[in-house]
Amino acid sequence: MKKKLVSVLLTAAMGASLLVGCGSDAAQTAQDTAEAVQETATEVAETATEVAEAVQEAAGDVDPAAYNGKEVKVWVAENVVDFTNEQIENFKTAYPQYAGVNFTVEPVGEGDAAGNIITDVTAGADVFGFAQDQLTRLVTAGALEEVNPDYLSAVETANSAGVVEAGKVGGTLYAYPMTADNGYFLYYDKSVVTDPSTLEGIVEQCEAAGKNFYMDMTGWYQVAFFFGTGCQLTYDTDDQGNFTGCNVDYASDKGLVALKEMIELASSSAYQAGSSAGDAVNYAAIIDGTWDADTVKSVLGDNYACAKLPTFTGSDGNTYQMSGFNGCKLLGVKPQEDEDKLQICDDLAYYLTNEEVQLARFNAVGWGPSNLNAQASDAVKANEALSALADQFAFTIPQGNYPGDYWSRAESLAGDVKDAFQKASDEDLTAALEAYQADLESYAK
Amino acid sequence: MANTNTGSMKRKRAVGNFFGYVLLILISLIWLFPYFGLLMASFRSFDASIEYGGVVDYIIPHTFSLDNYKFLFNGQTNYVRWYANTLIISIFVSLFNTCIVLCVSYALSRMRFAGRTFLMRFWLVLGMFPGFLTMICLYFLLKQMGLTQAGAIPGLILVSVASSGMGYYVCKGYFDTIPKALDEAARIDGASRARVFFQMIIPMAKPIIIYTALVAFMGPWCDYVFASYIAFGHDASYNVAVAMQRWMVVGDYQGYFTRFCAGGIVVAVPVTILFMFLQKYYVEGVTGGAVKG
Amino acid sequence: MANTKGGQKKKNAIADFFSMLGKDLKEIGVTFKEGDFKTKISFLIFGFGSLLRGLWLRGLTLLAAECGLLYFIFSFGWSYFSKIGSLGTIATTKQGRKTVYGDNSFLILLFGLLTLFAVIAFIAIWRINVRVNRNEELIIKNGRKLPSNKDDFKSLFDSNFDKTLLALPVAGVFVFTVLPIVFMICVAFTNYDANHQPPSNLFTWVGIENFKNLFSFGTAGFGGTFVTVLIWTLVWAFFATFIDYFLGIAVAMLINKKGIKFKKLWRTILVMTIAVPQFVSLLYVSKLFANDGLINGYLLKWGIIDQAIQFWVNPTLAKITIIVVNIWIGIPYMMLIATGLLMNIPEDLYESARIDGATPWQMFVNITMPYMLFVTGPFLLTQYTGNLNNFNVIFLLTQGQPKTGNLVGGAGRTDLLITWLYKMTINDTNYRMAAVIGIMVFVVTAGISLVVYNLLPSVKDEEGFQ
Repeated sequence: MKKKLVSVLLTAAMGASLLVGCGSDAAQTAQDTAEAVQETATEVAETATEVAEAVQEAAGDVDPAAYNGKEVKVWVAENVVDFTNEQIENFKTAYPQYAGVNFTVEPVGEGDAAGNIITDVTAGADVFGFAQDQLTRLVTAGALEEVNPDYLSAVETANSAGVVEAGKVGGTLYAYPMTADNGYFLYYDKSVVTDPSTLEGIVEQCEAAGKNFYMDMTGWYQVAFFFGTGCQLTYDTDDQGNFTGCNVDYASDKGLVALKEMIELASSSAYQAGSSAGDAVNYAAIIDGTWDADTVKSVLGDNYACAKLPTFTGSDGNTYQMSGFNGCKLLGVKPQEDEDKLQICDDLAYYLTNEEVQLARFNAVGWGPSNLNAQASDAVKANEALSALADQFAFTIPQGNYPGDYWSRAESLAGDVKDAFQKASDEDLTAALEAYQADLESYAK
Repeated sequence: MANTNTGSMKRKRAVGNFFGYVLLILISLIWLFPYFGLLMASFRSFDASIEYGGVVDYIIPHTFSLDNYKFLFNGQTNYVRWYANTLIISIFVSLFNTCIVLCVSYALSRMRFAGRTFLMRFWLVLGMFPGFLTMICLYFLLKQMGLTQAGAIPGLILVSVASSGMGYYVCKGYFDTIPKALDEAARIDGASRARVFFQMIIPMAKPIIIYTALVAFMGPWCDYVFASYIAFGHDASYNVAVAMQRWMVVGDYQGYFTRFCAGGIVVAVPVTILFMFLQKYYVEGVTGGAVKG
Repeated sequence: MANTKGGQKKKNAIADFFSMLGKDLKEIGVTFKEGDFKTKISFLIFGFGSLLRGLWLRGLTLLAAECGLLYFIFSFGWSYFSKIGSLGTIATTKQGRKTVYGDNSFLILLFGLLTLFAVIAFIAIWRINVRVNRNEELIIKNGRKLPSNKDDFKSLFDSNFDKTLLALPVAGVFVFTVLPIVFMICVAFTNYDANHQPPSNLFTWVGIENFKNLFSFGTAGFGGTFVTVLIWTLVWAFFATFIDYFLGIAVAMLINKKGIKFKKLWRTILVMTIAVPQFVSLLYVSKLFANDGLINGYLLKWGIIDQAIQFWVNPTLAKITIIVVNIWIGIPYMMLIATGLLMNIPEDLYESARIDGATPWQMFVNITMPYMLFVTGPFLLTQYTGNLNNFNVIFLLTQGQPKTGNLVGGAGRTDLLITWLYKMTINDTNYRMAAVIGIMVFVVTAGISLVVYNLLPSVKDEEGFQ
């Protein structure tokens, strides 16, 4: 619990620091925090470089011939394949002993990567990117090796605390944090939506203009409502990635307010399900993540704008700020039967997630870094979408580990919101929430 | 009296034909509409400065461009490779499947041996098990032989050919209609079974050979489930269906809609043309198969 | 009456089997007792007798088969087969940072079964080997001439041509169809799922626990969901088959109508849906009907509706839309078949009906339909079972959506058993339940086929119609 508190505070601090960068008139305190964060970050980075050098020296003793001809396969999302190839070239220069290693990079989307690796660990990539929600599934299937102890402290100190926490199962860090931008916020069309601060206002303006408002209500997005009204949903895990406990209070008045707000939103003629800008049509507002920034920008053009999620007025008359998850993308290393190869994979994963590469990745494809120094850089701070996300992160909770069944069950709830719940009475909804909660609890044994 | 009668009949028929044409035109419009939409979308640019490449709410693009087609062939993706893969799979599957089906059909239609009816019934029952059930098992079998990932293309061909014997039905039905007296006459003249098969039956079975080959050829263009399983993340082993399905379904590919449409058109046109040329044989095959049941 | 008959038949079959087995054993005994030393040694070394009798072609073939199978069984198969009872016990461990994988339950089961098949093949070849020796001895004893190697070889293209033709296809089906099916049936009795995923974890036999789960109707049980999905699967297949059937015939008749020109053009337009790969056309159509798709977009723009029609969101509407889209897929196919068949109906039937003053509708009901139904009965049955397992249409259009909290296991309202099974294997890696569902799909398909097939008027009895 303490760790969680720390991570919330740190995320808030980070959010504040980014706020400063985007030029809005933030409070002085925020700036102070930002500076403090930056200082610690610099220190952290220094120790990290030292560690890396030490490791490199140690590795230098090994005969490079031991690495020659080894095959290392890397799976990353399509849009970073070229980038990753370039970085691997740099990696070979930085670690000359790996000059004889054959690296291959394949475009396998994050969802597919996890699914494939779970199906056949031995044929999967040695180093692969994945989103945080897949972590426990991968650990349970034995598809992730623990982070190299040599790098452990460097990784933990260099990245934001919430992100490091997100890579852990039962206290063990299983993957190298790569981004800290897995969250969602509001993109909107300035010419249609004049005030993005309330949900009702946005929906009304969209309706009036005959434009669409997009928001997904599946597991990852619906918590914006539930957490917003003060509900909680977290799972406890043990070392093997088994779920041992579930903390949930959806079957409550707060939960009912959240559910009714979802139903009300879904009943609007402007509402469309989905949070993927590439599939969205004729929209004036969409709740989406930073990865779609370019797509939205190309559609909205000069009217492109971003903001934190709006507030909504619940059925009980109170005003709530929409919440959500903040998560990250991680780079995992598969368990290896060959120690030398494991060393290569560890070094590669560490290299691909260090400050410079994170920053370069941000510049190339706009992925928000998890490295504290990279986060503090001017370029990152100046990014509109990342600033909006940082604002939103002040209201979100770090995404912990959730069982696969949760996502599937939550999708079912989303299906009901759009259809069966539209004409349901309060009693029906309460019963549905109780059933929902019972199912969520049943996933922890 | 008779005259006026035929006159009214004619008028009736003319009216009937008129409605018939209206209905047919309507049906044609409905049937062609999706292809029209697909074609139009494929000419919409994905360059953000010109027009948006994702899903939009109008059919006719504001500006026509060939960007999507250029994208497919300029090496930004492996599209040409995927296309070639599919073509290779299709050609080999079509060739081998046809041979196997002909062999099986001849044996089952013309020869009587112990276990013949058992074999036919057994295969019929096997066909009732859903194919997905066996995917993971086939994957590991092929993996053991090194025919997954980089070797996925021969692997896919092997699996398709290996189980093609069970699809003897239509072809055997056709062989059954060729009079047995012909074989017997030849056998009395001293021809062996093999000679009868190669020199008499096969030349007479041209329509069914074309039908079998055509159906086998068209299959791999649609196979995205099993093919993606076997390719297992190895981009160069994808077929067009696996690779392009990602453009529509996987979130990494934002705004790929028009590129999907263009890719779809490039896939559909040759297959459709081939189909149109061989339509006669296809009709013969399905009709024969349906009646035989 | 029919039942007792069937029962008797079955009993007879079992009795036949045992008497055959008895005869077989006796023959083997006689072969050994009466055989010379060549034959006796052949019981261990396959083809030995044939080789010494100068028939090296069959001798070597038998010997090669024995050596090959034994080599496979002992060098590869046995290590798996010996563990099939427990499906492995050695867990995966760590040595330093290195991972040392233990037993792989999946491969033990898979290759264990393959080895079992090899053992069965070994016994079968042994039996053939014994019979070959017996035949050779009998021929010699009766003073006839043994066939030469050349005769043996030639027979492969004449009297034994069936073996030549079928060897590869049958072997292929065994390895790539039978083995995987047997494997998955076995998986239905194990706990192979996301928590027991080789090679890191072991899975093991659990008896009929998974079947109990399928038929448990509590909140977490699969029972309710299974029944719901099954009913929709049956209903879908019914509509998909019969609507397409009747409309297809209607369209065929329209095109065939006297006086309609450009028959080939109309047919060609329709047939495009068969030629264009479905993953292209259906994915496009699914976007077409989306809430924010073209159809809704234009209807809204023209002011015909003021709120999007929830084609894929409302479960009932989604089901109707799927069936309607399937008409688009199914009519051309049926139209092609009907076109061919309609021409076969004797024209004089219509002539005499016309003389009797029958209306076109009466002719359709009394002549066309009975003929079509009679001729295409079995085809309709295969269409129906095909639609039960129509993966493409459902998966490409809705992926089983919309989902609801009332269904477990990730099933949606438009999921068929087959798409549900697919989701379980791909998304949840819940192979144990997927295997159970797969077996259920088989039971349903086979059951319906069996019942309906027996109800159909015999196909061979074509006189029945005239």
